[in-house]
Amino acid sequence: MENIDLEKTYDLIVLGGGPTAIGCAIYAARFAMDVLIIGKTFGGLIATTHVVENYPGVTSISGQGLMEMFKEHMNSLNIPYISDEIRTIEKIHDHFELHSFFQKFEAYSICIATGSERKKLGVPGEKNYAGKGVSYCATCDGPFYVDKVVCVIGGSDSAAKEALFLAQNVKKVYIIYRGKEIRAEPINKKRVYENDRIEIIYETNIVEIKGDTTVSSVIFDNGKEFKVDGVFIEIGSIPNSDLAKRVGVKTNEKGEIIISRKSETNIPGIFAAGDVADAPFKQAITGVSEGVIAAYSAFDYVKEMNIEY
Amino acid sequence: MSQDNRYREIIKREMAKLKKPVKIRVFTCKKKQPSGSQIRECMDCGQFMALLRIYKENSNGMLTIKEMCIDENPEFAQRYDISRVPTILFIDNQGREIIRYLAAPQGGEIQPFVQALFTFAGAPNYYETTIKQNLDRIQPSTIKVMITETCPYCPQVAQIVNDFAIASNGKIRSVIIDIIANPDIGQYYDAAGVPYTIINDQKTLVGMVGAPEIMKALIGGNIRVQY
Repeated sequence: MENIDLEKTYDLIVLGGGPTAIGCAIYAARFAMDVLIIGKTFGGLIATTHVVENYPGVTSISGQGLMEMFKEHMNSLNIPYISDEIRTIEKIHDHFELHSFFQKFEAYSICIATGSERKKLGVPGEKNYAGKGVSYCATCDGPFYVDKVVCVIGGSDSAAKEALFLAQNVKKVYIIYRGKEIRAEPINKKRVYENDRIEIIYETNIVEIKGDTTVSSVIFDNGKEFKVDGVFIEIGSIPNSDLAKRVGVKTNEKGEIIISRKSETNIPGIFAAGDVADAPFKQAITGVSEGVIAAYSAFDYVKEMNIEY
Repeated sequence: MSQDNRYREIIKREMAKLKKPVKIRVFTCKKKQPSGSQIRECMDCGQFMALLRIYKENSNGMLTIKEMCIDENPEFAQRYDISRVPTILFIDNQGREIIRYLAAPQGGEIQPFVQALFTFAGAPNYYETTIKQNLDRIQPSTIKVMITETCPYCPQVAQIVNDFAIASNGKIRSVIIDIIANPDIGQYYDAAGVPYTIINDQKTLVGMVGAPEIMKALIGGNIRVQY
């Protein structure tokens, strides 16, 4: 709830709302930089994780709980956050001009930490039943399926965690995975195998989601119709790099922003970090690390400009 | 620190920053005892009022909460179409309903509720300029946001819609609904996912949506922006 100064040229504007963006902004604030965060979604994807057990210093916490702690830390440093989306970025002399849907901002440096978003399955029925049985967030929508039968599509660690969360209250969770063995972390794989309410259907794809007003079944690629009340889709994510591409930031074949070890992009003054960048292993902790490095690099970059305030 | 105590601390810290007076009305249901004293009849009302008292007690006297029994204020209840309790109403100086809460402002919902109190009291509203620039294109609208307590994205959508409503000179009304507490409303709209945003009972936005998407859905086109 900080006041936003729209006349100011910020030292750093961080784009994003997840742990990477907040980590970057916290360090920037501690470097005495004028920093502003502009994010579409506060919390990022991790906010939908029902339990985080691999963030050092915190034995076990919900993703939402972790992000609330990030928010408190951010608020304690009076870092302003606004919910908006940047559409264009222009370089004007020594600074960048950022145009959002609602306002115009100026900054000497930018960190793109826009994260990623859930992949869609792309089958008939998925769009029609979104919010009516098709979900991308077990934490959000799990309470609607008490004593019901649901399926989780995917075989990643996230899919396993979604299934474990749902199994606390539903009658049955089916993990439907195209591969031969789920790819969850060993600890979560063991939990899935030991959970009586979870069953895995291997080497199977969903080709359609059917229902009336809400979801009632899915169709497998072998033609079989399978009754479920809810479908939770957890098949990975795609980087939110459209804005970066539009302004000429280089990306790889996956659409991830190519960064150096100093979180630099090909455009001086624009840094990137976290899920939107090209690191092979994407976790909250690695995103925060890259975000922090981006803050330091931005600090160095702005310092070199010798700005007279 | 337990979760409850942590939330209590957040309310305490945030409400202490409230510098301008603000008033909300809360509809509850009371029944008279044979002794003449009154007890709250609705099951949630007692807890609800206890929660709101934490906001009030930490507001340096800036927050006024007027509790109104639905049976004792039938005209008011009818005027504002109060059909369930507890209900929180933010009513402006001209008597227009701006925000309605059919949800307890606890957990993740503390932040948007506090923000609504501050903005309603006159604190800066980030979306105000754009809303005013596009006011002629906004039809009188009710935006309902279906939420659950566990949903991490719901507070953000609630906050945006509340800010829109406050900036709109009474053209937009925001209704925040906990659909676990009000399952009939969720069933009516076939909502099995949150946040679930409905504009004028016609346009539906499912999942996390940002301010631009809500604004575009509201005006049915591109946003007019004049910096």
